Amino acid sequence: MNIHLTHEQLCDLVLAESSLLLEGGLRNDLESTSDVVQAHLRACPVCSAELRSLRDSLSNFRDASVSFARQEFAHSYARRSSSIAPPHSYLSQPLYWAAAAVVFVAALFPLSMHRHLPVAPVTTTIASGTSQITESDEALLADIDQKVSADVPSPMEPLADPTAGTTTITSTSDQRTN
Amino acid sequence: MSSRAITSDSHSVTQDAPATPLDDMSSIVATYEQRIFRFHLISIRDRDVAQSLTQDTFVRAWSARHTFRGDCSISTWLMRIALNLIRDHTRTDRFRFWKRVSETAVDVSDISSHVPHRDSSLESRLIASEQMALVWESVAQLSERQRSVFLLRFLEELELSEIANITGLPISTVKTHLYRALATIRARHNATHKDPL
Repeated sequence: MNIHLTHEQLCDLVLAESSLLLEGGLRNDLESTSDVVQAHLRACPVCSAELRSLRDSLSNFRDASVSFARQEFAHSYARRSSSIAPPHSYLSQPLYWAAAAVVFVAALFPLSMHRHLPVAPVTTTIASGTSQITESDEALLADIDQKVSADVPSPMEPLADPTAGTTTITSTSDQRTN
Repeated sequence: MSSRAITSDSHSVTQDAPATPLDDMSSIVATYEQRIFRFHLISIRDRDVAQSLTQDTFVRAWSARHTFRGDCSISTWLMRIALNLIRDHTRTDRFRFWKRVSETAVDVSDISSHVPHRDSSLESRLIASEQMALVWESVAQLSERQRSVFLLRFLEELELSEIANITGLPISTVKTHLYRALATIRARHNATHKDPL
């Protein structure tokens, strides 16, 4: 037999695999051609083999995809659950509470050590440093008061006359000229 | 404008708007999450992205629950949201980049171990794995629209009218996409079986 099923006929057979999918135009097409197609499938090993192979391929694809997705969904769901909070069953286990207690004590230990540190030397150092700062501040203020209370500010005081020793000599020479 | 607040318990909503079938979101998530995740996972082929898009699907469904008119099933409505999210995601350049480098991408080797072995013989198992891989690789070659229609039909086993409802395409167009998708698979199938000769 040289004439085989057309691609559309083969596809319609594949699409109609599940009785749930028979509907509308597809149902009518199949009803009108089913006798011819079925007769051909019985007589043509090529078409029947190809149809079987195509069905198996699609079936394997679906089954593998569904199984894989189910497994991935379970993994992702487990990851989400563990990332948010421990399962409730863990809360009733003594080991869980023991680990929690160890973590709590470990967290408290540095805090207790910090509280037992000697405080006095630090206070003394701070006090002495504070007194030094206070003294230097007082000296600066006293210096400022002294400068402000002066009659003439130091920048405005008259400069010492650098020519005080030569004045008499000049007048003497003038007298000689005259 | 009615305002509703989503709380830690999705059952707790303020009563100033009419109830919708989607108000009980926790039960809807419990019912449909695995199915939506599966569709995302096989469409995108990336575990992390599939998980993220699944969450986005339900967040968007919750946000738009007042637009649900009940003219289709909740499953169809959720699938429509999922399909739109996939379409938005796959059209970005970022998706094309991460598809190449993602460590959570799904490879055919990941899924081949899940092929059912109805027959215990080694030969039949190898044939089944080969058939599954052939379809898996063929689906990757399909156009975005053909892939969506193909997966809705052959993975989710939806009726053509449901696929038409989800995609917004006429049934005849849905059938055309399925014919073309199957033509790609058949062509690859024939090429594989002719090569050894």
